[in-house]
Amino acid sequence: MKSTKRRLARMQAAGVLLCAAALMATSGDPLPRLRAQTAQTAPAPQTTAPMPNLSGVWDGTGRAHPINSETIPWARTMAVGRTLPDGTKADATYVSNFPVLNERGLAFQKIFDEPLSPKYDCQPATPPAIEFDPYYMEIVQWPDRVLLRYEKDDQLRTVWLDGREPKVSDYGIQGLSVGRYDGNALIVTSTHFVFDITGFDDYNGIPSSPQKKVTERYWRDGEQLKATVTVEDPMFLRQPASYTMRWLPAAAGYKLKPFDCDPETARMSVQFIPAKYK
Amino acid sequence: MSSARNETRMAVRSCSAFVTAAAVAVLLVTVAPVVAHHSAAAAYDESKRVDTQGTVTRVLLKNPHSWVFLAATDEKGQKVEWLIEMAAAASIGWTPATLPIGTVVKVGGHPSRAPGSHGMTAARFTRLDGTPIGRGQ
Repeated sequence: MKSTKRRLARMQAAGVLLCAAALMATSGDPLPRLRAQTAQTAPAPQTTAPMPNLSGVWDGTGRAHPINSETIPWARTMAVGRTLPDGTKADATYVSNFPVLNERGLAFQKIFDEPLSPKYDCQPATPPAIEFDPYYMEIVQWPDRVLLRYEKDDQLRTVWLDGREPKVSDYGIQGLSVGRYDGNALIVTSTHFVFDITGFDDYNGIPSSPQKKVTERYWRDGEQLKATVTVEDPMFLRQPASYTMRWLPAAAGYKLKPFDCDPETARMSVQFIPAKYK
Repeated sequence: MSSARNETRMAVRSCSAFVTAAAVAVLLVTVAPVVAHHSAAAAYDESKRVDTQGTVTRVLLKNPHSWVFLAATDEKGQKVEWLIEMAAAASIGWTPATLPIGTVVKVGGHPSRAPGSHGMTAARFTRLDGTPIGRGQ
């Protein structure tokens, strides 16, 4: 009897194994590939220092981290076991990373009215939000610059590595980004942002000012790409705030898709938000 | 002979179970983000559910959100138009053929907050016979 049971168990296991092997052989790519695509064009760097390879298309969707919301990536508390933006699990030692607003920031947050958010008119997301939007992103490394291409809102940020200083004419919605390599990491510093009523976080109604400074540190952690994003803005924040997130390698052959934000559909849900002011 | 046939049947059954489990796993990891563009809670009451039935009059597969327009009748017999907010075109996985204009459907989801409005999100569409349409959002 026991021998029959053992034989049946062996047959079940053999069935599963053979089936898995057959699936992998026929589908070619049954699971997302755990390697980033090679950048389309990446001329050899002319610097002598080794440059970490961050190039490729990176998956920032819900597969890589929780979807952004009122409590992600900025959270006062986190239940034990909940997935954090960097893909690890929260434990009992979790410390709030929710921004500490000054009086001005609190006042802005209080009067914030959701329909004011410029995203309903297709204004693009900016740092520190665009990094965490649940879409794909591509990094292209050239000798004098790094290109950060976002599927979300069709945005391109250029990180200049040539030592330039921002000029007055560099003020813009994505600011001006300069960078350098530091060991295995890319350090990006962005300034010269214009005022943005949801420029810190559009889920909690926190603005950002031209004093906003965003520092990003990108590095490879095995097959993953990770980044710590730190925001300073003395106009609204009492102290810097930061989160660490991750991306996973995109499936082989994935190309960024056009976003083509549609103003009609972007604003349509505003009619369902009860009016805050008469 | 009969024992060998039984063993083969057992292996095939294990294989089917594995394929089913694998399909479910793949489906789970490819589910689209629900609402990543804006706070759903601001416009919709996620503690409530509403169900209706009507005819599809317009489908917009766009970013940041797709929308389905539905001609329906309310409880007083008045004609109403439902606007059903869906995921971004990039992630919803629908084509124009998924829900052709003129299709009569049942739909259920979270209702909009503004008084007197007819909006819905997190919707599940089915045909009148209960067959699911698309994967909803």
